Formats: sequence, C-alpha cells, structure tokens
Amino acid sequence: MTFFRFDIGARSRTAGRLLGRVRRELLRAVTEERRAGLTQQELARRLQDKRSNINRQLSGEDEITLRSLADLAWALDREITFELRRPGDTAGQNIAPLTSTVGHKPIRIIAPKMTND
Amino acid sequence: MPTITDLVDSGAIVRIDVELAPRDQPLRLLYGTPQFIEWLQGLLRGDEPSQRLGQTSPAEQVDDLFHSFLSGEPLIFTRQFRVVRAEENAVWELKTPDIRIFGWFMAKDCFVAVFGNWADTVKDHDLYRGYRIAIRRLRRELGIDATLCVRGVEPDDVLSV
Repeated sequence: MTFFRFDIGARSRTAGRLLGRVRRELLRAVTEERRAGLTQQELARRLQDKRSNINRQLSGEDEITLRSLADLAWALDREITFELRRPGDTAGQNIAPLTSTVGHKPIRIIAPKMTND
Repeated sequence: MPTITDLVDSGAIVRIDVELAPRDQPLRLLYGTPQFIEWLQGLLRGDEPSQRLGQTSPAEQVDDLFHSFLSGEPLIFTRQFRVVRAEENAVWELKTPDIRIFGWFMAKDCFVAVFGNWADTVKDHDLYRGYRIAIRRLRRELGIDATLCVRGVEPDDVLSV
C-alpha cells in the first residue's frame, strides 16, 4: 500500500469539519485578543461564567451551543458570518467528483462512434 | 541516503489524504507508518476511548485535523500541534480533544505520523518519552535522521503560513 484515504463519509465529514472550524475561529480570536491583553479570566468575567467552562468549550471538551457561540463572539468583539449555499462550480476549483477514481459517480466508458460505411 | 519516494516504495511510509472540498487545494503532505494506518483503520471501524471528551467522534476529529493540515490552514500552536521536547530533530504531536498523534516533520509542511492514541491514555501513562524514543529509533533505522528531519522547534520551522 502506498496510499491511504481516511474517508469517514460525507455526513460525518460535514459535522466534524463544521464544529472544528467554529472552535478554531474562536481560538484564533481568543489568541488575537490575548496578544492585545485580554485574559481568559477577563473573558470569563465579561460572560459572567467560570474560566474553566470557557476553557473546556475552547478545547472542544464541552459543547458550544449557538447561544454560547454568540456570547463568545460578543465578548471577543467579533461579528459572526454564516451562510448556507448550494455547492456550485466556480473557476479554479477542484473537479474531483468528475475525475477521481474514488468519486461517488460510476465510471463512464465513452466508446468511439462506429460507422457502417 | 533514502528519499521520500524510496520510503514510500519500500512500504516504510504510506501517503495519507482526506477528501478536500472543491475550493481546497492540497498544500501540505501527510504520511503514516503501516502501524499508524492500522490504527486509523480502527478509528474508521468506530473505536472510541472509554470516556470521550469531544463533541465529535474520534474519527471526525481526526478527519478535521487532517483536512486543516492538508488544505494548508494555519494550525493553532499548542492547541493543535506542539513539539514534544525542544531538541534537535524533535518529535511533534498533533492534537484533537480525544486524540494524540506523534511523529516528525520530514520537511516543512510534510509530517510522518507514527503513533496515535487516546489523549487520556497518553497522559495517564505518560507515554511521551516512550513515543519520542521509539520515533528517534525508527528514524535512525530508516537512515534518515540527518536528512529527512526538520531540526528547528519553532512553529514556523515546520509549518508555513
């Protein structure tokens, strides 16, 4: 074996990557604010919560609800942008589903047109 | 002295990837030893730690970590990766809430995973030293300790962006 694809399926992939992305965005904002002097203790004070609770949310050990996400964004002085869109073709993107041998579409064999003349 | 291609051809390491989104491009390289691939296959079969901390399954956590790594996202130092011990030819750790992965960088943006384990097990049994020694031994056996190993211990030494 020279190649291994770690494939957990589209549904799990969507969930895992969304939750991971939310957590990373929060961690990045916390890191930026820390450089500007905002401690986790101060963050906890703003949210009227325990520092350990916030730390567990940021480390992925506790669930981040939409409410706590909004509260953290407020405390970090950040806007939230959110969008659901249909996947569409754009210039420069991968076209893996059409060309990959592991794509979900069956392989199409295009035979040359036969003529009888 | 072996090259990365030699190591792949001999079966010492296996290239790993995950499905990238249409707008992602593979910007980093990830390899694993055959033993590590076996451990990944266990995750795909649904292996779980005795007490899960993360909101997502271990397999979902690893997929997200690999996707971030391979698509070139900036990883968060100490939260998502860190050096096990600041030394020349260091061993590095990739992290999720429930998982720890140990290996080394053959080159900048090119990681080889050797051991994966539950975070709790690694911490409870203090496996850092053992993994570090085993990985250093593996590199010596492969004859690449001086050639295919990043020497620096700063985040910028091993990852771009």
